[in-house]
Amino acid sequence: MDNLAHLVDGFGTVLSGYHLMLMVLGVMLGILVGVLPGLGAPNGVSLLLPLTFAMDPVSAIILLSCMYWGALFGGSTTSILFNIPGEPSSVATTFDGYPMARAGQAARALTLAFLSAGFGALAGVVVITLLSGWVAQFALRFSSPEFFAVYFLAFASFVGMGSGSPVKTVVSMMLGFAFATVGMDTVSGNLRLTFGLADLIKGISFLVAVIGLFGIGELILTMEEGLRFDGIRARVGLRDVGRAMRELPRQWLALLRSVLVGCWMGITPGGPTAASFMSYGLARRFARRKDGFGKGDPAGIVSPEAADHSAGTCAILPMLALGVPGSATAAVMMGGLMIWGLTPGPMLFIDQPDFVWGLIASMYLGNVVAVALVLATVPLFSTILRIPFAVIGPVIVVVCFAGAYTVANSPFDMGLVLAFSVAGYVFKRLDYPIAPLVLAMVLGDKAEDAFRQSMIMSGGDLSVFWSNALVGSITTLGLAMLAWPLIGRLTSIKARTRRTAGAERPD
Amino acid sequence: MDQRQKPESGGISRFAMECAASAATGAMGAAVAVGGLQGGIGWNEAGPEPGTFPFAVGLIIVAGSLGTLVQALRSRDDGVFLDAVRLRRVAAFFGPMAAFVALSLPLGLYVASALYLAGVMALQGGYRLRSAVPVGLGVAVLLWLVFETWFQVPLLKGPVEAWLGLA
Repeated sequence: MDNLAHLVDGFGTVLSGYHLMLMVLGVMLGILVGVLPGLGAPNGVSLLLPLTFAMDPVSAIILLSCMYWGALFGGSTTSILFNIPGEPSSVATTFDGYPMARAGQAARALTLAFLSAGFGALAGVVVITLLSGWVAQFALRFSSPEFFAVYFLAFASFVGMGSGSPVKTVVSMMLGFAFATVGMDTVSGNLRLTFGLADLIKGISFLVAVIGLFGIGELILTMEEGLRFDGIRARVGLRDVGRAMRELPRQWLALLRSVLVGCWMGITPGGPTAASFMSYGLARRFARRKDGFGKGDPAGIVSPEAADHSAGTCAILPMLALGVPGSATAAVMMGGLMIWGLTPGPMLFIDQPDFVWGLIASMYLGNVVAVALVLATVPLFSTILRIPFAVIGPVIVVVCFAGAYTVANSPFDMGLVLAFSVAGYVFKRLDYPIAPLVLAMVLGDKAEDAFRQSMIMSGGDLSVFWSNALVGSITTLGLAMLAWPLIGRLTSIKARTRRTAGAERPD
Repeated sequence: MDQRQKPESGGISRFAMECAASAATGAMGAAVAVGGLQGGIGWNEAGPEPGTFPFAVGLIIVAGSLGTLVQALRSRDDGVFLDAVRLRRVAAFFGPMAAFVALSLPLGLYVASALYLAGVMALQGGYRLRSAVPVGLGVAVLLWLVFETWFQVPLLKGPVEAWLGLA
């Protein structure tokens, strides 16, 4: 019940006029960012982050996290009305959301999506409320080897659980680590990998990388597709909301399953995108009638939305309690925490309870605010997408570069954004995952420090990662994750050779 | 002999792009490993020397790039990565954007944004100058209000702001 008392205190912090105003502002900016192609949640949070450097951390995190919720909702709006996912995690919503909207039920599709998303988000926050104290208690027993093992597990699970090529995941992730080491070494004070360039001494900010990789890279992709918005006009009335509320309980099984998938994928670094696809796939597999899927089945909207949002909120838990973010956006927010002078990890719960519980309380309120706002502003935001792209495209570009400049007042960073945008575009087209790169850039220094400190503790002996049951099991689990794709390939090769051997035998 | 279809003229095949990406990441990995070597990869009284971690990371990147190259060679995907039409679309977007960045270095971000917006609207969007120029200027003024006035975060400025007495 300790958590509940903290939560009540958190609500005390959050319930002020200023913070409620920040919530509304954050959600509105988030929806805008989610609706506009090219500007997604990670990128939007990166752009806003430099503007919060001077703010009080609680206010800043409320603004940024509410932007995240808003962006998740905005992404679903364009998926349903325009068949253009505003966010990678709302791709699965287009499968049934757009067909339902085309069939003249746009309001039903939108309300179903928003309400199930809100339900998923609230379920995620409840999970965080219940688990966070416990996870932090547990993590207090960690020292450097344990922390390195947890980072290792987080990165290994990208390789093991990722949908793409494991080698490409490794390359992308290691590039992130390499970028993170550029500049001043935090332990020795030496300069590393600057190759004599004065502009590289301050290092490469992950914010600049995110703006280039996600923001401009995504825009290039959109331009290449030859963008055309044929949206469906929609206005959501109170009656639609009531009808969707009555319809939602009938989807209880899909909701429950999606929330479970979402929370799991959010806490482990699977992320919202994987969660929404997985949940959609499960909904289809277990459906009694499969023929409705892809044509506007309500379960096909409810499932990815609930999973997407519960994963998005749950990604905050490992970020706060362990310092390992569960999604790219959470990684950016964690970078923000470090810039504001807070150290993510279990000590945060002891040193900064106001911050942690203020954030958790704001997640309850912020998501309710987001559902209400997104329902009210659908017509407004779908008008924005009708602005011709020759106008809105350059505006997005200008905002991205201005945002990159504000990170360190460095013109050089604008050139870096250009370089990262090309890399992001090529990586996306060739199916290199980008989230591991960002995560590695944010965590790189911390992971390296943990590794070096463990090495100092043990005098260079790698067996320190098996020195007790806790660190040993985490390390072994990480190794198993790394080996997972290899095992999978070996068994499939064996099966194939057996099949070909079997095919050769009958004469 | 050669049964593979050549990509259409002006296009880039996916295979070529995969190889180019592997080469690029491999080169970066090599650079990182060399940079690590310069930092020292031994062991001193403060534990591992600062170059150890980058050196290892660089080697893994090189190994991984070889892996992606092998994958590309084995699957030999001759699908089209970019055909001529798409390449033109990408260039039409990227060119002005690169010009905007180059212009913003001497002119500052506000002036460059106004020029960029008005230019793209007039040359690519088919707008008349009498609507493109006001929109460009309007967005620049809005940016000024948001960054300089509201959030008090300065953006890159150039001679025009100095002449107007704003910088």
